[in-house]
Amino acid sequence: MPFISQIERQSDYNLVPSTTPIVIDNGASYFRIGWAGETEPRVIFRNIVQRPRHKATGETVTIVGDHDPALLKYFDCTRSGPRSAFDSNVVYQFEIMEYILDFAFDRMGANGSEIDHPVLITECVCNPVQSRSKMAELLFETYGVPSVAFGVDVAFSYKYNQRLGVCDKDGLAICPGFTTTHVIPFIDGEPVYNGSCRTNIGGYHITDYLKQLLSLKYPHHMARFTWEKAEDLKMEHCYIAPDYFSEAQLFQKGAKEAEDKTRCWQLPWIPPPAEEAPSEEEIARKAAIKEKQGQRLREMAEAKRSSRINELENELHDLGFLLQQLEQVEENDIPSFLSETGYVSKQEIEAALAKVTQSLRKAKGEPKGDQAEAEDKADLATSEKFPLINIPDDMLTPEQLKEKRRQLFLKTTSEGRQRAKQKRSESELERERKSQQDEEKRLENPELYLEQLRARYKDLSEKVEQRKRLKTNGNHTNGNNFSGGVGRGERLNAAQRERMRLLTTAAFDRGKGEDTFGARDEDWQLYKLMSKDNDHDDEGLDQDEAEVARISSRLQEIDPTFIPKPAELGTSQPVEVPRLRPLTKEDFQIILGVERFRCPEILFRPNWIGVDQSGLDEMAGVSIRRLPSVGQDVEERLTGSILMTGGSCLFPGISERLVAGIRMIRPCGSPIRVVRALDPVLDAWRGAAAYATASQFQTQTFSKADYYEKGEDWLRQYQLRYTL
Amino acid sequence: MEPEVVNAELVLPTHLSFKRIQMYEKYPKGQSRGRHWKHLKQILQAENYQNYPPDEPNYVNIETPPSMHPCKKICDITGNEAPYFDPRTNLRYANAEVFKLVRSLPNEYVQRYLALRNAAVVLK
Repeated sequence: MPFISQIERQSDYNLVPSTTPIVIDNGASYFRIGWAGETEPRVIFRNIVQRPRHKATGETVTIVGDHDPALLKYFDCTRSGPRSAFDSNVVYQFEIMEYILDFAFDRMGANGSEIDHPVLITECVCNPVQSRSKMAELLFETYGVPSVAFGVDVAFSYKYNQRLGVCDKDGLAICPGFTTTHVIPFIDGEPVYNGSCRTNIGGYHITDYLKQLLSLKYPHHMARFTWEKAEDLKMEHCYIAPDYFSEAQLFQKGAKEAEDKTRCWQLPWIPPPAEEAPSEEEIARKAAIKEKQGQRLREMAEAKRSSRINELENELHDLGFLLQQLEQVEENDIPSFLSETGYVSKQEIEAALAKVTQSLRKAKGEPKGDQAEAEDKADLATSEKFPLINIPDDMLTPEQLKEKRRQLFLKTTSEGRQRAKQKRSESELERERKSQQDEEKRLENPELYLEQLRARYKDLSEKVEQRKRLKTNGNHTNGNNFSGGVGRGERLNAAQRERMRLLTTAAFDRGKGEDTFGARDEDWQLYKLMSKDNDHDDEGLDQDEAEVARISSRLQEIDPTFIPKPAELGTSQPVEVPRLRPLTKEDFQIILGVERFRCPEILFRPNWIGVDQSGLDEMAGVSIRRLPSVGQDVEERLTGSILMTGGSCLFPGISERLVAGIRMIRPCGSPIRVVRALDPVLDAWRGAAAYATASQFQTQTFSKADYYEKGEDWLRQYQLRYTL
Repeated sequence: MEPEVVNAELVLPTHLSFKRIQMYEKYPKGQSRGRHWKHLKQILQAENYQNYPPDEPNYVNIETPPSMHPCKKICDITGNEAPYFDPRTNLRYANAEVFKLVRSLPNEYVQRYLALRNAAVVLK
């Protein structure tokens, strides 16, 4: 239930006699002004001033209080937010205060040459004298007020409720306000400021906390959480939990009660138009297009293949012809004949022929199985191919020597190739044998085999995981660390640690003793060790990985229940990247769960927002302790009549919580009664209005002459007597 | 001015008959005045409370002392009881799930969470 401003201009100002005081409750959140003796203030508005620029004319104007936001569209408010005259609960900017008083008196209907009424205005407990004197000066000098009285709002509220029988003449007033919380003990109906205490926490902090928490929880809707909206949410939904941690536990466990206590705020959301599934026609059309394209590609490939076959056939034919011709040519003429064709020897032509035949076969799509045979054949003919190798050097001409060296080289390479091939075939045989053994084992005892395989898989995959983790551990960053893995608190792997050690020793070890670095060659190895590309992968990891892959594929073959670990696929991403999906209604819901009681809880635990003072319940104890020793019976009377007033005591559950909290700090058996003021928000004004009607009110005010005569020191001592 | 703005009397008039000194006289336009007010801290300093007896209540000494009870820690994100503390971000957290979130938060958000309890790093 948000408070509503009343800012209609009053018309009966001139009907009120000039002896009737004007009563002002100058609260940090709301400003209330009215006539003494009435039960309701005439004008209420938020205690803020805005000075925006009018868009059309460009002049800076003053707007006091809160108005219809729709009207603010004519003003450029970007450069000036709402400003308050208060720092904490003390008025410190009297220019703003003046605008507010202007507006207030204007709406009260004042139209004479000055404000010809005594003024009773509230202030905070122990208001600094500077603030008090500036306020008095402002009222006297600018508005011509005949006399002024200052009083404390909490005291007025307490007296008002005391008169109505809500609380006794001895008691405690607990007042969680907008910026501060006060506890003031009352003895014989007078406030005892010696025993009062103040914690700098109030409704402002609760609203701000809620606003911040929500905008952190829903960063996409940050713009929605305006101050006014947060204030509304606070007033509507926040409550004080009887025991914070058990209540939070409910929410953590997701209990049924928690679900009932969760509130949901649905932001305006228009569902996007649903995408229609493509019609059958469309599908058919697309399939046809695809088919056509495929056909075209196939045709192109076919054409290319046939042209290549053609080409190769021609070449083959040419080569065959060439060979035939070569046979007919005389031995002596061969070089001259060959020089025309571009080949050097008959063997070369034959080799080219073989090559062309092979590629022709490949092009025609025949199996190339007998390629190996061909190779074998080639190998058999080694001695023919390399005729010069076995002939001693001294029997050869220089040319032949050269040729021999070439042949030697060719031979060694071909032998190496052959050896590799043999090894390959051997290992293949080995593998086959192994898998056969595997198969036999499996057939022998399928259960056991499967079990063993699984165990081995688990073992190995864990090992691989472990090693991977070790390796990448230093590189998991969470955005706080942009330098990539060597920031504070990062754990490095062994190689990186070693590197860092080397770097630091290199940086600090110089200088002591003589520098012999570089005298030995090994010294220079250091740089190699230091360089970043030093950290190479170890072989073992690869082997293990291969083994894991083999076993997992094997398991997949024979075990239908087996699912390979997803970790294998990608461990690099620590957090799942949210997939792009269409926004739903749920994305536009603001869920108020723990926040409902977390925010007002700061009244009891100011520590949570970094204010190192005790909370509401302990304040009562502090206040009683501060009183000069009054005796146990007075203390009991104090706790037997505790009045809560001020806007922030409207949270449901606050009185139960206060009773529980105060019971903990008071001696066993002491009476504790906590009551809420009849109207925690307006009672201060009502109390002040009632007070100002008393005939002795005149004795409590001071005039301009008094003020200038008695000086500042008197003003410091000035204190209202609340019991008249 | 637009008629609805005028009707709502949104704008404070510059001349008010009941004032002895008008705003524009007190603060003439076009004159830079600088700051003409003091912060609360400066006001309190100027009050010279140290010159008065310490048992006399004043704005400063009525402040409540710190709590006598140990402060229970809550998770900065969820508000549940927080047994753990992340030394890298300085955030308190309730369980592993929240920890995962904490570690994925960008630094700006970490600082904003810390600022809620006045523990953010402030560069001066």
